[in-house]
Amino acid sequence: MSEKLLLLNDLHSFADALIKSGFSVVAPSKGPGPSRFRRIGSASELLMPDVNTEIPPKEHLFPPTEPLLFFRFHGTDVELLDPPLPAEETVFLGLRPCDAAGIALLDAVFLADPKDSFYEARRSKTTLVSVACTKVGENCFCSAVGLSPHSRTGSDVLLIPVEGGFLTEAVTEKGRTLLEKHSGLFQPTDASTPKPPEVPRSAAPEGLDKDFAELFAAPYWQDAAKRCLGCGACASVCPTCHCFDIVDDSGARGGVRLRCWDACGLELFTRHASGHNPRPNQPARFRQRLLHKFAYSRKSLGRPLCVGCGRCVDTCPVGMDIYEVAVLMSQGV
Amino acid sequence: MADTWEPRIVAFVCNWCTYAGADLAGTSRRTYAPNVRIVRLPCSGRIDPRFILRALEMGADGVLVSGCHPGDCHYTKGNYYARRRYIVFNSLLDFLGIEPDRVRFAWVSAAEGGKWAELVDLTVQAVRALGPLKLFSQEASLPPELEPIEPQKPQSTAPDPRQELALRQTAREMLASGEVELVVGYGRTSFGKVVPFFASSPEQAEELVWNDMCVHNLTTYLTGERPAATGKVAVVVKGCDARAAVGLIQEGQLDRERVKLIGMECHGVQSECGQVADKCTACEVTTPHLCDVLIASDGSVWKTNEAASTPTRFPASDALRSEVQRIASLPREQRLAFWRSELSRCVRCYACRAVCPLCYCQTCAADRTRPQYVTPGCDWRGAFSWGVTRALHVAGRCVGCGECVRACPQGIRLDILQAFLADVVARELGYVAGTNPEALPPLSTFRPDDRQDFIL
Repeated sequence: MSEKLLLLNDLHSFADALIKSGFSVVAPSKGPGPSRFRRIGSASELLMPDVNTEIPPKEHLFPPTEPLLFFRFHGTDVELLDPPLPAEETVFLGLRPCDAAGIALLDAVFLADPKDSFYEARRSKTTLVSVACTKVGENCFCSAVGLSPHSRTGSDVLLIPVEGGFLTEAVTEKGRTLLEKHSGLFQPTDASTPKPPEVPRSAAPEGLDKDFAELFAAPYWQDAAKRCLGCGACASVCPTCHCFDIVDDSGARGGVRLRCWDACGLELFTRHASGHNPRPNQPARFRQRLLHKFAYSRKSLGRPLCVGCGRCVDTCPVGMDIYEVAVLMSQGV
Repeated sequence: MADTWEPRIVAFVCNWCTYAGADLAGTSRRTYAPNVRIVRLPCSGRIDPRFILRALEMGADGVLVSGCHPGDCHYTKGNYYARRRYIVFNSLLDFLGIEPDRVRFAWVSAAEGGKWAELVDLTVQAVRALGPLKLFSQEASLPPELEPIEPQKPQSTAPDPRQELALRQTAREMLASGEVELVVGYGRTSFGKVVPFFASSPEQAEELVWNDMCVHNLTTYLTGERPAATGKVAVVVKGCDARAAVGLIQEGQLDRERVKLIGMECHGVQSECGQVADKCTACEVTTPHLCDVLIASDGSVWKTNEAASTPTRFPASDALRSEVQRIASLPREQRLAFWRSELSRCVRCYACRAVCPLCYCQTCAADRTRPQYVTPGCDWRGAFSWGVTRALHVAGRCVGCGECVRACPQGIRLDILQAFLADVVARELGYVAGTNPEALPPLSTFRPDDRQDFIL
């Protein structure tokens, strides 16, 4: 392992070097509102919080609103126009391992056949550089979903903070290429290089790996989800939630077809045109969210659709705690 | 482009006066600027501010709104309701940084063909002077760099445990006697977090919790399809929450026969890590002014709350008032840039709507697609459309419980908008939301002498 490792003195010079060599760099930065990833113009804007950012980097690959096509009416003809797709090579710098794992899950959904060309256009030009966690956030539970504060899942490069810098590991070929391009910033490691620190453990136990599907009919949901307001805030801060709705915004001369984030917790999500709603109440909708995360996705993707970042727990106005519910589920409640 | 630009004006007019007036202008061969497109509605009372916003969102440079003179309304009083709405709407546009001259209001009677022609000419002239509406232009000016005004947040103190015991006993008795089937209060999760809790048996009443973590406004569970929307229920309210109950009563959404209010004397709850919520620093209602049972700090239980005084103002903290002042005094362009930066973060999750006790509409305007009242998407146009629509819909009704701000995952300063609007409503319409259950909501009524100096 040690021969692959390189030492990076500081993140800022790496960010500047990336910008200088023409990459668009998306990183946690200063700005109004909650902490989030933004495109930065220089390393001075970089601001790494101790733990993960309040808003995940998902919005840079799968924007909350994205034009799918533009249309113009010419008499009885309709002209369709493709929206411009991003052309810039981008580095996401300063992801936490859960962020990268979240993007790996989005990949599993959007890049499976048939590929989502909009997502792919961004994703194929994106390199993910993660920084391992040295601290466990209040609601983090990554170790319960098979990840860890040092996990490599999804990352192209992993930086592990040590005294005086970062131990750097190229996880993928894409990562290796990126590091080679900037080899001047890295030194080879030797015996005097500080050893990687002990991996911090989140408080969560491991093993939310049961098949929860049989819980579908449990009376427990009526109770567990009674207070859920169906506000959708959880899905909006989830690094893996990927449901969307397609709406037209049109006028007399034409318009645009938009894809907008949607959420299974919202009443409108499953309501039919007839007014019938197959998920008739909030407990049914909350159950869908939990079972999709922990049961259905094991069948479809082979892993839970949750990276244990704890953002939904932080943000819920009525204290719904996905981890608490998952633990109760694993106890067969 | 610039030299060929012509202002595009949409006019929303009442059928009975202004439309006939415009007709008269035509039959009298009056010439006036051809930049106006007329949309005829039955009454100026039907001209929802949403129509005006939608026109701007869809590319109009200016909007003209016109109906019958006061006293002339075909439906007796539609124009009086409209006038109130525009007092609020006009102030909001200005606060958002949109030139008030772009949206003009006028009374034009069926006999005033000449006035209509002049009005159109003047409006086109005014909008021409302002130039194309750049509200949704690609290039946005940078938002002003404002250091947040740090609110004073004293540490909260835990209430006397006797109050919690008294609450449990009261709830137990209510459930045991069959007076109610459900008590909505606070409880703990298996992880110890204080959250909304529903007790439906005397045994469950023992799990009720009362402490300074009880920040949630539980009246939001009383409407729609929420757990306490039907049947006989009791709900635990703090003074601030009772204001929302007042709003619901005013609007016929809360049946006092069905819903009992258990009022808790409250000396502040936490918003985060031990600190008192911002609203609590401006609290006037430590004892709820509306409740059926009052549980005082010392645990004594009262069937009356005569000691409570009715609140007199919107519960905006000093910090929030300073924010409103600061935004209002920014140059117009900076004001717009500020709101663009705030509202553009919206991802349309609708958490603000879901937690709001007064957002109870069965189908929200934002969920309608035929007609599409609110521009979809959460780019700036969509975010503007939703943000401003919601601000207007709760104007004069918002009681300042702060739940929308607490719920917003994007930290959008909806409280600044609402505190501003509450000020306008108090100043212009003389009402403070959540004070008087007998009063008509300020935008569902009018006074013949409401201000109209802004109407041409």
